[in-house]
Amino acid sequence: MKFKKTAAIAAVLLPTLLLASCGGSAGENAGGEQGRSLTIGMLGDVTSWASEDAHVGHGLVPMQAPYDSLLRRDAQGELQPMLATDWSYDEARTALTLELRDDVTFSDGVAFDAEAVKANLEHFKDDALRQASQLAALDSVEVVDSDTVVLHLSEPDPALELNLSQAAGLMASPEAVGTAEADTVPVGSGPYVMEVESTVAGSRIVFTARDDYWAPELQQYDRVEFRVLEDVSARLNALQSGQVDATILDATTYDQAAGAGFEILEDYQTDWNGFTLFDRDGELNPALADVRVRQAINYAVDREALVEQIERGHGTATTQPFGPESGAYVDELDDRYPHDPERARELLAEAGYPDGVTLTVTMLPGWDGMQAAIRQQLSEAGITLTSEPVQFANMFGDIAQKKYEALHFNLFQSEAWVNVQQLLVENTLYNPFGSTDPELTGLIDELQSLSSGEQADAVAQQINEFVVENAWFVPLYRLDQVIAFDAERVEVVKQPQQAFPSLYNFAPAA
Amino acid sequence: MSNTELVALASMRTRTSPLRRLLTNPLGVVSVTVLGVIVLVAVFAPVIAPFGPNFAEVGNAFAGPGDGHLLGTDSAGRDVWSRLVSSTQLTLLSALLCAGVAIAIGLPTGLIAGYYGGLFDGIGNWFAGLIMSLPGIIVLLTARAAFGPSVWITMIVFGILISPSYFRLTRTAVQSARNELYVDAARVAGLSDVRIIARHILSVVRAPIILQTAIICAVAIGIQNGMEFLGIGDPLTATWGAMINDGFRNIYTAPQLVFWPALTIGLTTGSLVLLGNAIRDALEGGSTVAAPAKRGRRTAASASVPVSSAHLLEVRGLETGYPRVDGSTNVVVKGVSFAVDRGEVLGIVGESGSGKTQTAFSILGLLPQSARIVGGEIVFDGRRITSGDAGVDQGALAALRGRRIAYIPQEPMSNLDPAFTIGAQLTRPMVTGLRISRAEAQRRALSLLARVGIPDPARTMRAYPHEISGGMAQRVLIAGAVSCDPDLIIADEPTTALDVTVQAEVLELLREMQRELGMAVVVVSHNFGLIADLADRVVVMREGEIVEEGAVRDVLRHPQHPYSQQLLASTVAGRKPLTPLLTETEGSAR
Amino acid sequence: MLTFIVKRVLSGVVLLAVICALTYALLFASGLDIARNLVGDQATPEQVAQRARELGLDRPLVERFAEWVASALSGDLGTSWFTAQPVLGTISARLPVTLAIITVSIVVVALLAVSIATAAAMRGGWIDRAVQIGSIVGDILPNFVLALLLVILFAIHWQIFPAISTIAPDAPFSAWVESLALPVIAIVIGGVTGSTQQFRSAIIGQLEKDYVRTLRSRGVGEGEILFAHVLKNAAPAGLTVLSLQFVGMLGGVVIVEEIFAVPGIGSTAVSATTQGDVPLVMGVVMTTVVLVVLVNLLVDIVNGWLNPKVRVS
Repeated sequence: MKFKKTAAIAAVLLPTLLLASCGGSAGENAGGEQGRSLTIGMLGDVTSWASEDAHVGHGLVPMQAPYDSLLRRDAQGELQPMLATDWSYDEARTALTLELRDDVTFSDGVAFDAEAVKANLEHFKDDALRQASQLAALDSVEVVDSDTVVLHLSEPDPALELNLSQAAGLMASPEAVGTAEADTVPVGSGPYVMEVESTVAGSRIVFTARDDYWAPELQQYDRVEFRVLEDVSARLNALQSGQVDATILDATTYDQAAGAGFEILEDYQTDWNGFTLFDRDGELNPALADVRVRQAINYAVDREALVEQIERGHGTATTQPFGPESGAYVDELDDRYPHDPERARELLAEAGYPDGVTLTVTMLPGWDGMQAAIRQQLSEAGITLTSEPVQFANMFGDIAQKKYEALHFNLFQSEAWVNVQQLLVENTLYNPFGSTDPELTGLIDELQSLSSGEQADAVAQQINEFVVENAWFVPLYRLDQVIAFDAERVEVVKQPQQAFPSLYNFAPAA
Repeated sequence: MSNTELVALASMRTRTSPLRRLLTNPLGVVSVTVLGVIVLVAVFAPVIAPFGPNFAEVGNAFAGPGDGHLLGTDSAGRDVWSRLVSSTQLTLLSALLCAGVAIAIGLPTGLIAGYYGGLFDGIGNWFAGLIMSLPGIIVLLTARAAFGPSVWITMIVFGILISPSYFRLTRTAVQSARNELYVDAARVAGLSDVRIIARHILSVVRAPIILQTAIICAVAIGIQNGMEFLGIGDPLTATWGAMINDGFRNIYTAPQLVFWPALTIGLTTGSLVLLGNAIRDALEGGSTVAAPAKRGRRTAASASVPVSSAHLLEVRGLETGYPRVDGSTNVVVKGVSFAVDRGEVLGIVGESGSGKTQTAFSILGLLPQSARIVGGEIVFDGRRITSGDAGVDQGALAALRGRRIAYIPQEPMSNLDPAFTIGAQLTRPMVTGLRISRAEAQRRALSLLARVGIPDPARTMRAYPHEISGGMAQRVLIAGAVSCDPDLIIADEPTTALDVTVQAEVLELLREMQRELGMAVVVVSHNFGLIADLADRVVVMREGEIVEEGAVRDVLRHPQHPYSQQLLASTVAGRKPLTPLLTETEGSAR
Repeated sequence: MLTFIVKRVLSGVVLLAVICALTYALLFASGLDIARNLVGDQATPEQVAQRARELGLDRPLVERFAEWVASALSGDLGTSWFTAQPVLGTISARLPVTLAIITVSIVVVALLAVSIATAAAMRGGWIDRAVQIGSIVGDILPNFVLALLLVILFAIHWQIFPAISTIAPDAPFSAWVESLALPVIAIVIGGVTGSTQQFRSAIIGQLEKDYVRTLRSRGVGEGEILFAHVLKNAAPAGLTVLSLQFVGMLGGVVIVEEIFAVPGIGSTAVSATTQGDVPLVMGVVMTTVVLVVLVNLLVDIVNGWLNPKVRVS
């Protein structure tokens, strides 16, 4: 009977020995055996590969592998030709004419032409949900000839050109558009093609370089792999073990990555963290209807302290919801609300709340520490902060149902018009109570009719000043995007107003 | 529990309660102390925490210990010590709530299902299966979505989800206990079911339940941790899980934030488990007071020292005892001496507690682990089998047992392994002991079974112990004892547990086999009739000492010692000595 | 035996039906706005309503459930509402990974628990105490902290294993072995305590029984007593604990899968439930129930084989 015990011991030891002998494969970059290879650690999954389902920011980058867009936004934020070689508006800015390339084919062999553009754009208009607003103003698509289309708009859309470099501009093969397979296997004209045999949905998505791609300078790799790693420590671990070349981290892991010798892109901010005060009309919380109360909240927070404490200094305090690259940014506005609890108390008293007010904001998982700090700051001004736990999955539905008076969230900063549409118009999700103001509406209308440039910027700045002065928001700070990468394998530059660098921004290290 | 265990326990129990035994177990003491401290911390939390659990000092995050913060501050500038202390109460209470719900559902249903069986058992089993098959994480998530993120609700739901484990454990334990003889006895005695369950069954169920509770509390805390990690915990209340999660999120910046709650969790869950073990040991008496004699190990000295002896078995001044908690020894065999020659039958008579069984087991070397042979020696066939270190020479005895010294136990059913066939249990020791092939052992076993009067040996060989009657089982045990042709048999009350009519048959069997095989027998009994029939000489024991010995006719006819006279006088009145108390009946052997 | 199995399978089917119905109802009772989750924050209320109509969310619950049952019976578990991947495909790709982790873990836990418990029960004394203390070490750290420590130690510092899973359809078997080693270790360390303690208790209980002494009196060696007799009798209690652990692991594997980025079914279950991806949740639930029923059946069969008394009932 002794052998049973020995067998048991052997059974435990043997696999361990086997495993130890397999050690060699760990840490290897897959690029070794297949030429130049790039592995990116993403924080979220691409749930649908259909071109109309593309997100912005993180969600757009994987789409850049199989798809090209009509326009391309370069690393300086300028729009460059891509599938469209030239574009121009008419006088009224309701018709955009695009000249198209004639030498591009999709990976299924179908030629790229005006009909393809029409099919894509119309499909987007009908079926897109996540970024439907990008073509909200599109009325119809006119095919002039095989290389020319005209986009007819129902009203001017200052963000249209930008959007044509985003989800709306992704071009799928017309054979694939609208099919069920498009959700799982993308068919585009892009530099890479999905390698289905190696792909595990929701875990790793593998693309291989397409032969005879029309823009070799945009095709830096033979193989691109996206690893879905939802946990930030998993992303850091993957980076440290050499299993990914670049990934997005956060303030808590910044030092670890830097200390381990990884490069981190500097001056990369795309989101602002703060409160969106939905209830400006006081339906849920009458106190919020008074602008002085909202301003008091802005005075009561100590933004610099929060940046230090919550982002470990990796951020910049701000009072404006618009970003520095949006054109709406006004430097002086950042001084509008210095940390001044006394002033806050005064304002509250003026508004008729000498004993203070209560503010209820949503609290996402893991944000309790942040809100504890803010609560402490607000209490010094007599403002009681109540946290209402929410789940990300439920949040939007509840917002739409007007359950919350204020939202605590990270919102991305883009071109002025985009954020106006996102935050300020009457029927956007982030304005569930439909707050309006004639002055603001007038400014918005004016902005709509302008093309980008100094005039548009001036109007955007006025909009910015309006919302800051009227304290529609309580912006706290812009947080750094912590993009960490292995400088010995990869070169990468930031992409303005995009949460993760575009695929085109990556190149093998020299 | 057998007689010997009762004796062993009695020597401990006379002075100690389970509580005392718990407290002498070092692990028990440590765990009780640790848990006590933690409970005190929970109760006095408001007093010993300088800050509120959610009070955040902005700008003072990740501070080290000092400056009013005993353990530093966390990522929000909250005092770690205050949070730790405040969350103790909540975490403990919620874990207890979970276990409480689970026990409240699982224990009663398990008791009823195990005891009564039938429809309730079927239904209960099905529900247990249903609840166990529910995907726990999904239920927790949807409950959270429906009822809110409160940790109390989560613990109640989890308690419901985990109650089948209690149901199953209870049911299994009750089922095995239900078939024990003492339950039948209780039933026959007319005890109500409730009483039986409450007093007898419950005590069997205690051990696994207590252990499981400790484990469940630990699991409940683990569930809280897990849900915090997944972001679906209760963000507004400070629990250890919340602290660990905060520490985990910042593990690269301040690893010590994980350390403190982990230490607390570890101490608590560890103490719970150890306490569970210790309680179980205290209640069941399974743990030992002193270090046990190691079985099967040869002692360095006296590798069966040859000693001159004229007899087959000689017991010289044997003293056997059990250590008490206070260090003294309860001596149950006080200087017993006797001898047995080849082919001779010696009877050892006495009341319960006279030490006769202890003597028998001392010879066999099968005393409980806590027993000590504190004096005298035992010599078998010219070799000393007691060793120098308060025990027996297990190495020597192991070679003798089953081959040259055999044992016939008292209670037939509990002395057979319920998981093996009669045939397997019979033949295997023969194969190793006699070094014969299995086929040969099978043949011999069959003939042995026939010899002991079993009507269908082949069928019995294939049967399991629970499929045969008590009388047949005893015959099987006798067959097993003689199977290797031993020189000496120690029979401990061989017929006491049998039906009256079967007793006579087995007695006759014993007598025949003894004559046929010429074995020496030491038969321990309180039954004079048996002794009269079987023994050549008899020894009367009282409270660990021999009070009289001599030829059986002499002692039984003319007892000299007052105690022997007393004993004999208390036999059934109206019978003359030397007549068998039992009459043979006709009919088939049972 | 056959009737026993058939009866259990039948009752398992009933179980499956009940649980599926319960889960279906629970998912919708929790008040999730699934349509809104699907369409995102940019969609208009009209689009949300339209999506809700497309999903059939406005139809009666019973009707929807009946539909789901009908298509499930014909082998079509539908497609995920969120990823458009077929549910059956997702499950069949991810379930083996999770099962591999759990099965290997259970086996290792069983071996370890039996060895440790046996040593403790047989030797007693300080070994018993040391074992009791040692086996609770696994309880000290929550599994995600433990997992992280394992990664830091084995994947980053010593580079023996990968930090994140390398499992892929075209990867060799060694990818499975190296990717699952650390998750298994994490789960085993956390799970060995409970089993060890229960095994210890059961073994001690058996060692105190009369038949053990009688076997010794027959000259049967300690080793054989332990491995052939005691363990066989203690097995039912131990198996019960292990089967409970198996079920528990189905939930506990989630966290480990997240940290190690293992493409298993645990993380799928969590995200599907929080989002309200009904087809996927139903698929996962079905799979889990079938698994649990099978495991319980297996345990009962083994119990019956080990313990003849049980066979009769």
